[in-house]
Formats: sequence, C-alpha cells, structure tokens
Amino acid sequence: MAGALKPPSAFAITPHKVSLCILVQIYASPSQVSVPFPFSSVSQHNRLGLYLLALTKSCDDILEPKLDQLISQLREIGGLLDHWLTDHLTSRLSSLSSPDDLFNFFNDMRGILGGPDSGVMEDDQVILDPNSNLGMFLRRCILAFNLLTFEGICHLLTNIGIYCKEAISSCSSYELRRLDDSGNDLESLSEYENMDLNLVFKKINEEMEARKRATERVSFHLHLPKELSTLVEDIEVFADPKSEHYDKGRESSSYASSGDLLRDFDPNGGVFLRTNWQIQGYLTEQADAIEKHGSSFTLNAFELTLRQLQKLAPELHRVHFLRYLNSLYHDDYFSALENLHRYFDYSAGIEGFDFVPPTGCNSFGRYEIALLCLGMMHFHFGHPKQALEVLTEAVRVSQQHSNDTCLAYTLAAISNLLSEIGFSTTSGILGSPFSPMTSVGTSLSVQQQLFVLLKGSLKRAESLKLKQLVAANHLSMAKFDLTHVQRPLLSFGPKASMKLRTCPISVCKELRLGYHLISEFCCEGSTMTTDGAFSTAWLKNLQKPMGSLVLSQDNSSRNNSNPFLFCAQPSSIPGSVLQLVGSSYLHRATAWEIYGSAPLARVNALVYATCFADASSSSDAALVHVKLVQHLAVFKGYKEAFAALKIAEEKFLCVSKSWILILKLQLLHERALHRGHLKLAQQVCDELGVLASSVTAVDMDLKTEASLRHARTLLAAKQFSQAAAVAHSLFCMCYKFNLQVESASVLLLLAEIHMKSGNAVVGLPYALASLSYCQSFNLDLLRASATLTLAELWLSLGSNHTKTALSLIHGAFPMILGHGGLELSGRAYITEAKCYLSDPNFSVSDNPEVVLDPLRQASDELQALEYHELAAEAFYLMAIVFDKLGQLEKREEAAASFKNHIVALENSQNVEDLLLSV
Amino acid sequence: MSSKESCRNELRTAIRQLSDRCLYSASKWAAEQLVGIEQDPAKFTPSNTRFQRGSSSIRRRFRTNEITSTPPTGVAYVSTPVMEEDEVIHGDFYLLAKSYFDCREYRRAAHVLRDQTGKKSVFLRCYALYLAGEKRKEEEMIELEGPLGKSDTVNRELVSLERELSTLCKNNMIDPFGLYLYGLVLKEKGNENLARKVLVESVNSYPWNWSAWSELQSLCTTVDLLNSLNLSNHWMKEFFLASVYQELRMHNESLVKYENLQGNFTFSNYIQAQIAKARYSLREFEQVEVIFEDLLRNDPYRVEDMDTYSNVLYTKECFSALSYLAHRVIMTDKYRPESCCIIGNYYSLKGQHEKSVMYFRRALKLNKNYLSAWTLMGHEYVEMKNTPAAVDAYRRAVDINPRDYRAWYGLGQAYEMMGMPHYALHYFRKSVFFQPIDSRLWIAMAQCYESEQLHMLEEAIKCYKRAANCNDTEAIALHRLAKLHRELGHPEEAAFYYKKDLERMEAEEREGPNIVEALMFLATHYKAQKRFEEAEVYCTRLLDYTGPERETAKNLLRGMRIAQSSFPSMDVEHFHP
Repeated sequence: MAGALKPPSAFAITPHKVSLCILVQIYASPSQVSVPFPFSSVSQHNRLGLYLLALTKSCDDILEPKLDQLISQLREIGGLLDHWLTDHLTSRLSSLSSPDDLFNFFNDMRGILGGPDSGVMEDDQVILDPNSNLGMFLRRCILAFNLLTFEGICHLLTNIGIYCKEAISSCSSYELRRLDDSGNDLESLSEYENMDLNLVFKKINEEMEARKRATERVSFHLHLPKELSTLVEDIEVFADPKSEHYDKGRESSSYASSGDLLRDFDPNGGVFLRTNWQIQGYLTEQADAIEKHGSSFTLNAFELTLRQLQKLAPELHRVHFLRYLNSLYHDDYFSALENLHRYFDYSAGIEGFDFVPPTGCNSFGRYEIALLCLGMMHFHFGHPKQALEVLTEAVRVSQQHSNDTCLAYTLAAISNLLSEIGFSTTSGILGSPFSPMTSVGTSLSVQQQLFVLLKGSLKRAESLKLKQLVAANHLSMAKFDLTHVQRPLLSFGPKASMKLRTCPISVCKELRLGYHLISEFCCEGSTMTTDGAFSTAWLKNLQKPMGSLVLSQDNSSRNNSNPFLFCAQPSSIPGSVLQLVGSSYLHRATAWEIYGSAPLARVNALVYATCFADASSSSDAALVHVKLVQHLAVFKGYKEAFAALKIAEEKFLCVSKSWILILKLQLLHERALHRGHLKLAQQVCDELGVLASSVTAVDMDLKTEASLRHARTLLAAKQFSQAAAVAHSLFCMCYKFNLQVESASVLLLLAEIHMKSGNAVVGLPYALASLSYCQSFNLDLLRASATLTLAELWLSLGSNHTKTALSLIHGAFPMILGHGGLELSGRAYITEAKCYLSDPNFSVSDNPEVVLDPLRQASDELQALEYHELAAEAFYLMAIVFDKLGQLEKREEAAASFKNHIVALENSQNVEDLLLSV
Repeated sequence: MSSKESCRNELRTAIRQLSDRCLYSASKWAAEQLVGIEQDPAKFTPSNTRFQRGSSSIRRRFRTNEITSTPPTGVAYVSTPVMEEDEVIHGDFYLLAKSYFDCREYRRAAHVLRDQTGKKSVFLRCYALYLAGEKRKEEEMIELEGPLGKSDTVNRELVSLERELSTLCKNNMIDPFGLYLYGLVLKEKGNENLARKVLVESVNSYPWNWSAWSELQSLCTTVDLLNSLNLSNHWMKEFFLASVYQELRMHNESLVKYENLQGNFTFSNYIQAQIAKARYSLREFEQVEVIFEDLLRNDPYRVEDMDTYSNVLYTKECFSALSYLAHRVIMTDKYRPESCCIIGNYYSLKGQHEKSVMYFRRALKLNKNYLSAWTLMGHEYVEMKNTPAAVDAYRRAVDINPRDYRAWYGLGQAYEMMGMPHYALHYFRKSVFFQPIDSRLWIAMAQCYESEQLHMLEEAIKCYKRAANCNDTEAIALHRLAKLHRELGHPEEAAFYYKKDLERMEAEEREGPNIVEALMFLATHYKAQKRFEEAEVYCTRLLDYTGPERETAKNLLRGMRIAQSSFPSMDVEHFHP
C-alpha cells in the first residue's frame, strides 16, 4: 500500500475481456472442418486470430475500449462476416443476465481449451493449446473469474449491462444521425460546447444518468466514449489534421455529404489511448513535445488532460512529472518545484518503462535522480548557485548508492552549468565530494576544473556505454576546446611543450566522435521495441489496407505527427539522438563562425535547418535561423535580412527572451549605426542590455555583446573617452570570466577607438594584442580585420608607412574577400585606395584603375549596406581621382553621390526623431 | 447572549425536530450541549447536580480569567423563530418510514414515502436515498478494492437527488433541512461555491443543525472564504467560528471563543474536548492531559478525540496510561479509526513498529482520509528505516491536507536520513511555514543546515534564533547558538548565548556537561577581556565540578591573581576607563 514498490494491479475480469472470450470461442469453436463454420476462408480465420492476438497482448489496460469501438474494429476485420460477428457478440453478451449465466459461460470456455498434453492437432480439429497466447489469456480469465467473490460477480454483471447498453444506445443514435444529419447541427454544436467544459469533471456513472435522460439528444453518445482520446486530439489538433477534421467536421454541413465513407472508421478514428504502454508512450511523446515547443505549448489544456489521466490512473505517477515539465517550460517556479517533489516522493525515481532495475537489488529508491532533476530545474530558472549545491548533493548521493549512471549524468550537468554560466570562482561550492576527481589540488581555476570534470564525465560515460551521454560530452568538449587554450594542469618543470593555441583539430575530432552516435543507433535500434508496442502498432495499422484512398493519403502526412509513432516504427532513430546529432551541426556552424569561415558556417546551418528541423527544439531551430539571417545581413545587406527575419518571426513565437528578438535588436542596432541613427542605436542597445540581465540569471554572452555595442555606439557618436572607458571595463570583465574570444574583439575595438580619436600610436599595441589573441584562438576572420585596423593605424601615422600598410592589407585580402562581409571588404578597399593615394611615389594618371577599381567595389558594397559615412568617403575619393584624371562628368557624378550620402547622414537626425516618435 | 433558559428551550425543540428527521448526529450534538448548560440548582435535585459537579474541578484549576461568564457586549443575537411542524396527514406513512430508517433499511424507507409531498416527507425520502447511496458506495469501495488512495466509486443517487432538490429549491418549496441535504449533495459533486451558499441559507434559517455547520466548516478552507460568508448572528455561530478557527490553525482565537462559550455551556464535554485539542496544538500538554482525564471521568465510553489524548500520552511516554486507554476504547468500539490509532500509538511507544503499522493501516482502511494515521504511519516507517515507504505515507498525508506540518517535517527528516540535506530543506521550509511557532521544526532545519555536507552555519544560526524565540523546551537552541558563534569566532555573541543558556539551566535546575562548558567558556572569555571579577565568579563556580576543568579553573584563578597583583595599573585602568 504505502510501499514504494507496487506490483501491477491484478488481472481483473472486465466486460471487454468477456467479449474477447466470446470472440476466442468463435475463433476456436470445436468443429471438425479445417475452416470453422462462420468463416469462408482460411485467411479470414487467420485475420481474426491475429486481431485477437493483438487485443489480448494489449490487455494490461488502464481504460478499455467500449463495445461500439470493438464492434467497429470487428467490422474492418470481419469483412463480410461483420454482421454475423457483431450479432453473435452482442446477443451472447446480452444473454448474460444472471450470475449463473456467467458461471455457465466460463464453464463453456473451459471446453475449448485442449487437454494439458494435446500438443498435436488431431484431425484438423481446432483446439486451443493451453500454453499458446490465446490459451493463456483464456486460462487467466477463467482463473480470475473463479477467484471472484459473489459481489465481484454481481459487479461484473452490472458492468456488462452498462457495456451493452452504451453500445446499443450509441448504435441507435448512429442510425438516427444518419437520418437527420444536417437538421440539428446548430443544436448539437452548443451541446458539444457544454460537454467539453464538463467533460473533465464528470464521472462515469453521471454520464450513465445523463444518457438515460438524453435519448432524444443524439450527438451526445458519439462523443462520450472517446473521452480520453478526444482530449488527446484536442491537444494535438495542430499536428493531427485528420482528427481535427473529424472533430470539427462533424458539425459542418459539408462533411455530411462527403463524410459517409469516413464515418465507418470514425469511432476508432482517434487512436486508442488505453494500454499502459500507450499511456506511457503518450506521456513520453508529450514530454518531447513540451521540450520542443517550449512555452508555446498549451499550458492549461494539457494540464486538464493530465488531471483526467491522474483521476483514471492514480498510481501512474509519471503524470506528476509531466506536470512538472509543463510548468517548467511555462516558467511557473512554484508549481514546478511542487510537482517535482511530489513525483519523486511517490515514485522514488523507480517508475516508468525506461527504468531498468539495478543489478544489485537496491530497495532504497533512487532519490539521486530527484536531485539531478532539481538541479536542472534550478539551472533552468537561473539559480546557478542553488543548482550547483543540489548537483553537488546529487554527486554525493549517487556515489553513496553507487549509481554510476546518475553520477555520469550529474557530472555532465555540472560541467554544462559551469560552461554556460559565468562563475568567477567556485571555491566553497565545489567542495569535498569532488576531491576524488580534482585531487590535483583545489587551487585550480574554474576553467581547469571544468576541464577535469568534462574529462571525468566523458570517461565515465564511455565506461558505462551511455552513448547519448558520450556524444553530448564530446560536444561540450568541443565547445570547451573551441574557446580555451589547453594548458598543462600542473605547471612545473620545463615549459617548452606549452603551446598557447586552441586546437581546431581537436574540436573537429570531438565533433566527429559525437557524430558516430547516429550510426550506432541505426544498428541496434530494434532492441528498444517491446511486445506491447508491437501489438499497438498492429492495431493502429489495421485501418490501412481497408481504408479509403483519402485515409491512406492522409496517413503519410500523419505519420510524423502521430503520438504513437515511436511505437509503430520501432527501428526509427529516437528523437533525442537526432537532436544530439543536429546539435553537432549547430556546433560546427558556430565553430566555423568563430574560426572565420562564413561559407562553411552557412552550409552547416543550412544542413541543420533542412535535416533536423523536425527533431530540434524550438530554441535550437530559432538559433539556426538567427545564424542564417545574420549571414544574410553581413553579406547581402539589411533589406534581405529583414525580409528573412519576417519569415523567421512568423515561424517562431517572439516571446520575451527569444533568439529572434535578440536578432532583431542586433540588426536594428547595426543598421542604425550605419545609417547614423545614433539615438535609435543607443535605445536598441539599452534594450539588449536589459535582456541580458533578466529575472532569470545574467547571460554573460549577451551582456558582453550589449556593452560592446554600447561602446561602438559611443564611438560612432565620437565620444571617444567614454567609449574607451566602456571598452576598458568590458575588457576587465572578459578577463575575469575568461571570455577570451570576446577579449580579442574588445581589444580590436579599443584600437579603433584610439585610431579614430587620433591617437594612432596608442592604438597600435591594442591592435597587436588583439592580433595575438586571434592567433592563439585561431580566429582567422577577426585576425584579418585586426590586420586591416593595423594597416589603417600605420597609414594614419604618416605617408612614409604606406608600404607597411599596403603589404599588411594585401596579406589579409584573401581572407577578407573570401569570408568577410560587405563592411569589412568595403573598408579594406577604401584603405587600399587611400594607401595608394597617399603614397608620394604613386601617380593616379599612370594607373587610375588601381585606385578606381577598389573604390568602385567599395562604394557598391557600402551602398548595399547603407553605410553612409564610408560610402561618402569612397565617393569623395573617387571624385578626387576623377578630378585628377580630368574626367569632369564622372567627377560630378561621384560628387553627387557623395552629396547624397552626406545629406542622408545629416538628415538622419530628423528621420531618427521621426522614427523615435513612432 | 440569550439567557440559558431560552437556549435550553431552543435546544429541546431542536432535538425533537432533528431526531424526528433522523439527523441523529446533529441531535446528539444538540443534546450534549443541552446537558452542558449549567442547571439552575434551585430546580433540580442534588443527584442531578452531582452529576454535573464532577467536571468543575478542572475549571477551577485552569480558568484564569472569569470573564467568560459574562457575554460579550454589543453583540445582538438574532432569535430565530422555532419552526412549526407541518404535516399531520399521512403521518402514519411517515412513522413507518422512520421506523425503517431507524432499522437502517433506507431504500424501504424511501419507498414508503414515494408519493408523499410534505416537506418533511420529501426530506426524509431524499435523505434515506442519500444514505442508501452512501452505504452502497462504502460497500463497493471494499468490494472493488483498488489500490489505496483510489476511489472511483461514487454515490449513485447524487445525480437524481441533485436534480430533484434543485427543482424544489427553485420553486422555493424547500425547508432548511432540505437545503442542508442539497448542500451536502452539491459538496459531494464538487460544486463548492453553490454548496456554501445553500448551506449558509440553511443555517441562517435553522441554526441548530450542527451537521450543516460542520459541512459548512469543511468548505471554509481559508480565512477569506470564511469572511465572505453572510451569517446572521446566533449563538450557534460562535460554535461554528470556534471550530473553523481551530481548523484554520488560529488556535488562540479558537480558544477565546470556546472559553466564552463555556460561560453558558459550562459542562459541555464537547467544548472541553475542543479546548483540549486547541491546547494540544499549542503544545500545552500538561493541561491537555488534565482535561482529558477529567473528560474520561465524566464520559468513560467516549472514543471521539481520544486519539489526541493518546498523542499526549505518547509524547509524555505514559506507557500504562496509554495501554489503559487502548484497552478501554477497544472494549467500547474496536472498529473506529480512533481506536486503531490509539493502539498504533501504544505499539509505537513499545517499539513494536510492525504491529503499529498494522493498526494504522487498519485505521486507514476504516477512513482513508484519516490524516494523522498517514503521518503516524510515516513516523513508524522512519523508525523501521523504510524511508521510501515513509516518504510515500507522508506524501499522502500532505496531499490530503497540505497544511499538515508534521508530515512535511517527516518528509524532511526522511530525506535527511538518506543523506540529502539540501533536498530535505525544501520540506523543512514548508513545515516551518505552516507552523512557525514550533521550535523543534526550526531546530531540525538548523541541524540540516549544520550538517557537514551543507555546512551553512549562518543560516543555521538564523534558524536556531527562531527556535530560541519560540519556547524551546529542550533547550537545544541556545547551546547550539553559543557553540556555533564560538566556532565562527564571534566571542561576544557566544558569551551572550552561553550566559543565557546558563541562566536557563539554573532556572530549570539542570546538570550536565553543558554547564561546565558554558562556565569554562565564560571564564576564559572574561579573562581575555580583562574583566577579572566576572571571570573569577565563573571560575569559582567551576571549582564545584570534578574533572580536568577544575584544574584549569584553578590555573585561571592563579593567573588572574598574579596579573592583578603585578599590574595594579591595569586594574585602575579597568575601573577608570
């Protein structure tokens, strides 16, 4: 009762099982011919047999099908026989009117079972082998009946009565509906609405009462038996077009004309949500859906379903877990906390079909899983300190109970936490339990601890053969390698071997290792299937061969949204694996972005968007779109980027802190900077800053980005000292939290600030420092842009440095032209032209194209970007060159363009005021 | 308050009317209160009064203020007219039906009244049907016996009853009793708002039906709900309020109400038991024990509320008294959840936890929403080191009543036992939220913070402070506070708490190592502070004890004397700062 381990409830005899017994009797009636009486062919006979097999296998029920549902399934099975089968079934059932009838019935059942040693078939006679599946089922039924008390028999009798009555009333209503289909549509509509509201709270016998009095209201009955399945479909409406059509279509008059074909299937059109397996499967599926759709998943409707499920199956504690997930993704902290605790209090972490009983019988429950979940929850809600505390406890408890699997997962979670959230120090939090792993000493920095943890958890996962975890660990290892220089943990002895560079090869290696996962799952996917799942699949596929053309076409589109897909296609790759593999592509895209290869980043993002869109969670999918749109903005200008953004916005819900919203702000900021709308830029930048430190934890990446943008805005407004101060404090922060990649770009910005303020000499060391950062982290594109800045610095030092500047630019050109965006190449072209022009040995008239060609390129690109300031500069230079060449017409043209851009820049003030006022 | 005589008259009529309608528990309650009213000594024979005298002894001992006999001024009580009986026609059928009802043949009773239209007959018919449904429901629950906690059986009469009663209500053809039944049905069906409304209407027009009041009480789960009720002022409302306050854990308010009521209903066992329960919640065990002893003397076959008494005896570890009580209730009525609970408590006290669990289970079989049995069973499982089962039991208790701080506390304890102090904190927090005046909860939480895994001493100190503020009988908090402060290097605070602890131990005349520890610390502390006089006092006190501390004290004294004699200037400095 109160023990944590509960045996499954005993095999109880129900009306549904009685009708199964009747059907078995028909199937195995003792006759002398090979094909017994009602059947016309062997295949027909076999078909019924298969059907019965499937039914008996899925008899570990929570809610059983009603008689009318059974009958309509029989219709599909029996073909020509259906009338005979149904009539026989119903008449047999309704003939059971007293307890004695039941006794006789089960005595008859005993007759169709063979003797204990009748292994061989005698003379074509069909005798049920007592050890076959059907035989076992029959024996169990007989045994269960014999164990019943007299009260139990009475209950069975009343239940059979109800069972039949429901079917009959729904049949008759069926007929009635056929007659006056269009007549009472409006009336039934309102009836439905009432029903749906009350549905959840109604109990079964109240419905019985209602049924009695509502014989004249027909639509009622069709709706009710599907209680649970309709609810499921209500949730799934967006994904399941067919059932939606069914539910809604019933009221529409157009349906009445075309729907006759479909009607025969409708009562079981909704998939039966009945067996234990199916419910578990449904819950798992919903859990995935919640994760995938995040907060766009409907909170209340699902809550209602869960509440009803809980009422029907109070011992199915998984429901609490789903509630937890539901409230987690809707940011309801208290309800999430409450439900998490409730779930683990009841289940002790040992429930559900993914539970594998431990080899050593451990009766103490597995509360370490509760701790793991609680830690993840705190992480989700942005309480990193609490999360770390809880996870530390999880480590200790799993060590205590020697639950290595949980330990591996916990370690992975901790390393994830450490890498996601900026801790400047972990001292005092990561304490004693880690000593076995961090035995090298406690003086390690956070990054070093993270590295040790990652290694440890990877090793553990590998030794436990947790493939998904191994893959996930490889990914986070790749992430670590991407942004961190490998240093030896102990720094003593000769330091000759120290190489202060990140290692792209190791990143690549880790990513590839993660990718192996999918091939492994392809080979062994079949081990995941189970008996129960097969039978469900069979029942579901029942409609296919018999169904109309419409249905079978529908099936193809339905397949990817069906809640029981994973049962039906046992060999398919689980969604979580797909997700992992997909995220490896996402990692690749990010890696290439950082290393500076735009085309490769784009290709990987595209692969992700096309191949893994189904399996990905909504936030990952949004991230990919963000990457693609950013790419567009850099290479094609803002017009196209905003067009793409619009599409993305439609696709993803623009909720409080989504990727899409951030992207929008980023784009707006950049465009405002380029167009010279400085006030707007500042406003957008402030908004980004607000997003960075929301209620749920500080997002370090976003925070650095916001202040970087702030510094850039100040720079554009020519507030040099302020810009320098902001950039400086930003650099300090980056240094503190080990954000080295960001440091490089901050240093570059500082160099630019000093250059623009006219202190080229001060700028030089910053540019050089940035260059060395870029070198050690392999940030090739950033390095190219640092080189460009360096060249600009040299150039501004005077005309005698033009050679140096020119050679620097030419060195960086391949990278800039191959991977750089519009702005970067525009800047490079202009600088190149300026170099030539300021070179005293260079004469324009000798070789005008050397200057004009880059200037033309630059002006084209900058115009696409609407970067007025630089574009004006390009046209200015062009006008001067034309002037020197004496091509007055072209000079005027260039001058006019120059003027246009200058005017646009000056007008930006007015435009901006207009924009702000809007 | 209306005079005793009018109360008496009202109650007498009410009892007749209630038992005429077969509302037996309400009439029982009314009769108890009727006898509880102090009789006019002039009118009664000495034997009558002797019967009542027995109970006054405890009132003399515990009635601190005698204001109770004077009614609160300014409250005008509504006098509700006593109902008139309507039908006399078909009275014969009614008599037959009532006899059937008394023999618990509910369906027969309802059948007899099938064509009657009088309000009284309609009520009895509906009530009989309701009870028949309830009876069948109970039987089915046992027959269909799902796993515990699950009950999909319902009273099958509810739907038809609701339909009939709502029509009657609409047509205004319903009396207060019918309204009560209607409210009951609505509550069972989950329509709580309407049920509240209907019940309020019922008690306003007929206040003497205690059953209606109790149904209403079970629907008032928050203070706001209670305040939103529109109840007319009748002395029965005071009973109701007292009971609701108790349920809402406003024990002091409830006590005041009950003590007021005792002015009129001086000898009411009911009020006495309720006062005992309220005092139990306030942890005044001594008084509770006296009250219950007295109650049992007057009403030796009482089973109601005796589980509270057994809890008191359990806490005070009175083996023989508890066994005596268990014996007595089992002779009175074996199959009452209270009886099973008392026996469970007894076995638990004896350390026979398996047997104890068996009896708690039996209690739960009899009433599966019997809250304290779930909690107590959880305690037993904890004793048996079966933590998962304990967690399960506690969780069920909490799901029945989320305000049960004992179960929350138990959950916390269970998780702490499993070495998950951080996880346990959540539960301790819940438990102190619902019962912030219990020092044990605060201490448990503090110990959790103190555990070596968490080692959050600052938080632990905060908890101990709360514990010390709410009357910590075992005096753990002060000592721990002193120790923690010493460990954290706050000598001033440590000295403060050691001193307080010392005072306390002196007041309670306790002995033990804690005293030596406190003296030792204070002596060295004051010496270090150069407050030699105080240090000397503590040192001399230490000399009374044997052991190494005595030698240390001697050394300290010697050291101080040398310091004082060789540096007189220091002394001067000390006294003339």
